[in-house]
Amino acid sequence: MSESPVIDIKAVVKSFGGNRVLDGETLAVMPGQTFAFLGRNGAGKTTTIRMLMGLLSPDQGEVRVLGLDPRKQGMEVRRRVGYVAENQAMFGWMRVSQLMAFIAPFYPTWDNAWAKQLADRLELPAKTRVRNLSTGQGVRLSLALALAHKPELVILDDPTLGLDPIMRKEFLRDLVTYLQGEHVTVFFSSHLLYEIEPVADAVAILDRGKIVRQAATEDLRAKVRRLIVPIEAVDAVARLPGVLDIRESGRQIAVISDDADAAGAALSRAGVHVEDMPLNLDEIFEAYVIGRKEPVHAKPPLERVA
Amino acid sequence: MRSLLWKEWHEQRWKLAFMSVLLAGIAFTGLHARVIPDETVLLSIGVLAVILMPLLVGAVLIAPERDSRTLDTLLALPTRAVQILAVKTVIGVILCVVPLLLTCFIGVGMAGGRELLSSEIISLFVKCGLTILALFFWMLALTIRLPGETRATLLGLGVLIGWMIITLGLTEAHGADWSKPIWLLNPAAFIVGSFDNGVSAWLLPAAAIQAAIAGLLWFWASRQLSEQEAH
Repeated sequence: MSESPVIDIKAVVKSFGGNRVLDGETLAVMPGQTFAFLGRNGAGKTTTIRMLMGLLSPDQGEVRVLGLDPRKQGMEVRRRVGYVAENQAMFGWMRVSQLMAFIAPFYPTWDNAWAKQLADRLELPAKTRVRNLSTGQGVRLSLALALAHKPELVILDDPTLGLDPIMRKEFLRDLVTYLQGEHVTVFFSSHLLYEIEPVADAVAILDRGKIVRQAATEDLRAKVRRLIVPIEAVDAVARLPGVLDIRESGRQIAVISDDADAAGAALSRAGVHVEDMPLNLDEIFEAYVIGRKEPVHAKPPLERVA
Repeated sequence: MRSLLWKEWHEQRWKLAFMSVLLAGIAFTGLHARVIPDETVLLSIGVLAVILMPLLVGAVLIAPERDSRTLDTLLALPTRAVQILAVKTVIGVILCVVPLLLTCFIGVGMAGGRELLSSEIISLFVKCGLTILALFFWMLALTIRLPGETRATLLGLGVLIGWMIITLGLTEAHGADWSKPIWLLNPAAFIVGSFDNGVSAWLLPAAAIQAAIAGLLWFWASRQLSEQEAH
């Protein structure tokens, strides 16, 4: 029997005023996955996460978290999910230990011994007031609070924003290693792709309110590659399906295809010499969200001229 | 719920101390010095409380949490928005009532039976308290979605001035038939009643209608807090 998704978003539409932020978004996260939710600033990542937490309701479509409807069963969802918001604000006047004591009664599954262990492991000074913590300590505190009730799903909304690069790396490595060991599903939103790449099992790319690609990270890297062909092959390139980006560089054309095997085979059949190069997640993401899909010699659209 | 109460109490206790010291201090000094009549001292305290307390409590119950974004943190906890608002309302009511009670005790203790009867002093503070509570709910509801303490306070001030103007208009009407139903809706009906016996007759129906309005305002505020879509 196949497992049901931990997060299931189907054709969700959400507008604020006249601005359509999510436009038929659909994605599924399976149990135990570390799922990277990628998108540029303003792509709709935080709106999606707020819907998952039951803090917003979709205008159309369906959202399910752990099999529950967050809008109707928001309390239950929030009890079972560990959530770290983007730039999460805490009560500055509380001491770390007071904040933990304040949060604990909201969660029936809160484990005091585990919370203490987390605080020690994350080097959180129990007696210090929250307003006196450094940015890094603040993020670690949010994380400790999100994990101390042993959630089934952890949702992290750009949690490393404001941390320096070394801290970000350490944070991700420690956190994800721990969560993967515990088989906790992690839904991780970020726009810093180099951080995500080593830890994510699967990714979804959100662009202008739509999921433009969802796949296992390895599958994505295996399928989406850059093909370098001579400039003479411009007509063959124009006929290729699944092209994400085309760029001219001297006497060569660099094509990024979302099915490089098929594209490479088609070009070979046309007698074109193809050089095949792997891409990192950063380049794949860029190809999906800002890739130039028109043929190399095509007139640029008016807005680009402007 | 206890956790939320603990948090609110810790955040608001200094405001309670400030208002208690302010009102009780003025009462003690004024009644002890006896430079002006006791009635003037107590009425001045009542008017000051009616102006200050709804503004300091009702208008800024939610706005600071919006400013610091801790409201988002609260709403992301496994609790209902209505519970958060209920706790804030309970603490807000305590903040409105306790300083007034304390001042009333001082008034009765120092001046009861001197120039005014103790029952007259108690009646004055009960009427002030009812006006403060009625205004508190108006301000709580109307400022609930406002970010920024300054904006919330300004809107609160607007509400206060609006009702003052209406009260002035009603007083000028000298009990005209058309003005009577409007008195029932006016949060100031209680306190103005302490000057005008004609209005005092409206006190009980006014209290019932004000309680209903407060309930509706609170219900509306809880809906506003639950719906965060505008943010």
